[in-house]
Amino acid sequence: MSAVTKWRSRLTIAAVLAAWISVQAGAQSERGTSIVILTGHQATIPVPTLMEGAANSVGNLDVADQLFIRLAELGPKLLTAGDRDFVPALARSWTRRDSTTLVFELDPRARWHDGARVTARDVVFTFKRAKNPDLAPRLSDLLRQITSVTAEGDSLVVFHFAQPYAEQFYDATYHVAPIPAHLLDSIPPDSVNRSSFATSPVGSGPYRWVRSVPGQFVELAAVPDFFLGKAKIERVILRTAVEPSARLNLLLSGQADAMDIIPPPSVGRVASDTTLRLISVPSSTMGFLLFNQRDPRNRARPHSILADNRVRRAITLGLDRGQLVQAVFGSQGMVPYGPVSQLLWIRHRSPRAQGPKVAEARRLLAATGWGDSDADGTLDRDGRPLRLVLSLPNTSGIRRQMALLIQEQLRRIGVQIEILQLEFPIYLERRSAGDFDVDFSSVNQDPSPSGLTQSWTCTGGNNVAGYCDRGVDSLMEQAVRGRGDPGERWIEALRQIEEDAAATFLYAPAFMYAVNRRFRGVTISAQSSWVTLRKWSVSPVPVAGRSK
Amino acid sequence: MGGWLLQRALQAVATFAVAIALLFVLMRAAPGDPLFRLSADRPISQKEMEVLRARYGLDQPVGRQLVAFVGGLARGDLGVSIEYGRPVTTLLAERLPATILLGGSVLLLNFTVGLWLGVRQAVRRGGREDRWLTTLSLTGYAMPSFWLGLVLAWLVGVEWRLLPAAGMQDPLLSSDAGLLVQAGDVLRHLVLPVLTLSVVSIAATMRYQRAAMLEVLRLPYVVTARAKGLPERVVTWQHAWRNALFPVITLFGLWLPILVTGSVFVEAVFAWPGLGSLAAGAVGSRDYPLLMGASLLVAALVVAGGFLTDVAYGLLDPRVRIG
Repeated sequence: MSAVTKWRSRLTIAAVLAAWISVQAGAQSERGTSIVILTGHQATIPVPTLMEGAANSVGNLDVADQLFIRLAELGPKLLTAGDRDFVPALARSWTRRDSTTLVFELDPRARWHDGARVTARDVVFTFKRAKNPDLAPRLSDLLRQITSVTAEGDSLVVFHFAQPYAEQFYDATYHVAPIPAHLLDSIPPDSVNRSSFATSPVGSGPYRWVRSVPGQFVELAAVPDFFLGKAKIERVILRTAVEPSARLNLLLSGQADAMDIIPPPSVGRVASDTTLRLISVPSSTMGFLLFNQRDPRNRARPHSILADNRVRRAITLGLDRGQLVQAVFGSQGMVPYGPVSQLLWIRHRSPRAQGPKVAEARRLLAATGWGDSDADGTLDRDGRPLRLVLSLPNTSGIRRQMALLIQEQLRRIGVQIEILQLEFPIYLERRSAGDFDVDFSSVNQDPSPSGLTQSWTCTGGNNVAGYCDRGVDSLMEQAVRGRGDPGERWIEALRQIEEDAAATFLYAPAFMYAVNRRFRGVTISAQSSWVTLRKWSVSPVPVAGRSK
Repeated sequence: MGGWLLQRALQAVATFAVAIALLFVLMRAAPGDPLFRLSADRPISQKEMEVLRARYGLDQPVGRQLVAFVGGLARGDLGVSIEYGRPVTTLLAERLPATILLGGSVLLLNFTVGLWLGVRQAVRRGGREDRWLTTLSLTGYAMPSFWLGLVLAWLVGVEWRLLPAAGMQDPLLSSDAGLLVQAGDVLRHLVLPVLTLSVVSIAATMRYQRAAMLEVLRLPYVVTARAKGLPERVVTWQHAWRNALFPVITLFGLWLPILVTGSVFVEAVFAWPGLGSLAAGAVGSRDYPLLMGASLLVAALVVAGGFLTDVAYGLLDPRVRIG
């Protein structure tokens, strides 16, 4: 046998062997009572009080929701005022001692994953960390109204607040879940994120930590003696694929069971796979055109075009927002009234957003002196065209697509829009500095409307456009700080923001989720994608079929 | 030879040091603040911003940051990633094996199959096999790897379900599966990304090798070898090929850093957990420490590629043995 023939034989044998081993590997995959969930961000530090800065990511929050359990869970209505929509979790009951004191009684059955009992000391320890601005600057700001948290015995936790307000209960339960004091109090507070606890956390939730394979997945396992009942899905894999197309391929190839936020153009492809169920979930996202009311080059001066309320209103009335939403989100989007995503409970009480009124838009522009003196289709005044730069990040396909439609719709009323796509960090830097005419903003909101004060009050930390209406400030202050139902005051504030035309509120979408049909009892909460996972079950019979 | 090697190594170290300083300064001169990204979804208070700036040393002047970075580098500490909140060295070490596996497999295929096909083409110049391979290699060379990756993932992974569409291992693989089965699992996941990257790289190597071999086959010493009655295989592989390797060695030196930088899109398409996607993410988020760590690695590979090429030339070509 010649040397070449020998090599050929060896190569053939090696290839056959490799193929056989690969087939064996495929055959040993165990689906059973497991679920593979796709995510764009892998959890790095899924531990309450450590998820600060960039660590406050969806990847960490999704895993932390399974490992740790809050004192009480927010119910399906997402009503953050009062305690009506909260259900017991780590705390089995609560009472109010006075207008600034809440007492929680912990469930005596609650255990950490290492077997130790969850006590009031753990809650006190957690809030002490969370309120330390050097350790947790974000949390400490959110919890600023909580003046102290103390323990009364092993079971009672007492929260004191700076003043009476409607969202005391929400502040005490939503922002942070307790972490185990007995495992962490011996570690210097600023070293916890470098400790072994951070890389293999011990929680009190329905799932325990098994392992993390960097860049690939995180594995969790059901806690057998979870005090609220063992989860029926035994094993949870949160599999990372940063690129949406890779996530979609993993889902459609049957390598994964569930995926959140299916890109709108791909919904049809997913729908054609009969093994998958599509679920529409209200999202916390809201997109709007933010009008800069200050001159980008000199913030002390008003904006030469957009400081005029009538121009801003004309732009809003000149847009057919329903058509824009339909074009980009199909039936999964809505035009919001004011800066309100589908997550906020106040949207149920707000009026419908106004439709387009092109004639009224033209009239308003004419009233402010804008006319087409040179008949070139673009309005002008004192020799200057009505031209505005619309800034947006080049990473957002949705905003890119919508910007083109906006450009076309506004051209019809004589407003020239120049689209400026920027790299994301540069976009944010310019936005924060107020260096824009019109900013195509998109925000993700917490369930509480109190976050609106940051962007829509005169002194709000995120008010980059210089919008200021003392009436709105007063209404929001009353809504946040007042007692009783703050709904009406919120709606009144939204009405005023709409009248001021501080922005054109464009879209508040629902996102499509896909879940394999072999899972039963599937519900998805708008506040956090997979927080209800412990209530799902698995069908014993595999679901057959693929594409229609 | 020893002196020449030492001199070349010192040059490599100096190049590396200049590259570090330039990278560090240019990165910070570029627009975009790493912490502004955090304000994309929610407002960040001044206090929070100050705490985070101090945490990552961004409140210091650039000169002091550079000194701190070099000091850390000397201790093997590249700082903590802003995006991941973990040491950069740990992140790089976690992702390096996947990159080496993918890049190493591509290089191996490239410099075995590519060289072999290039030589075959040269030996059979003008024949039907040469024409076919030329057509195929030009087609492969012209094909964008990300597009090919998307097509392969969709067809082979989703439609035909012959191989995994993405990822590096099956997370549901039984925990008591043997090493061989685990290796087989990785192999299944490796096929499509390697194929995607190899199509382009093999095509380039084939073209270079064919051209170099054609040059050499015309030289008098090859004619002499044939005239001496040596078998054609010996003439081709033992006499001609050695001298036709020089352009390919240069190509190897250039390909080495592409191990990391060249696979960014393919890693994204196949969710391959390598350094390329990590570095690309760091660029988008202006994660200075991680970006510096990844850039250092690429700079080291560029310098190492040049150094190894020079050493290989020195070993293969007596005229280079100077000093």
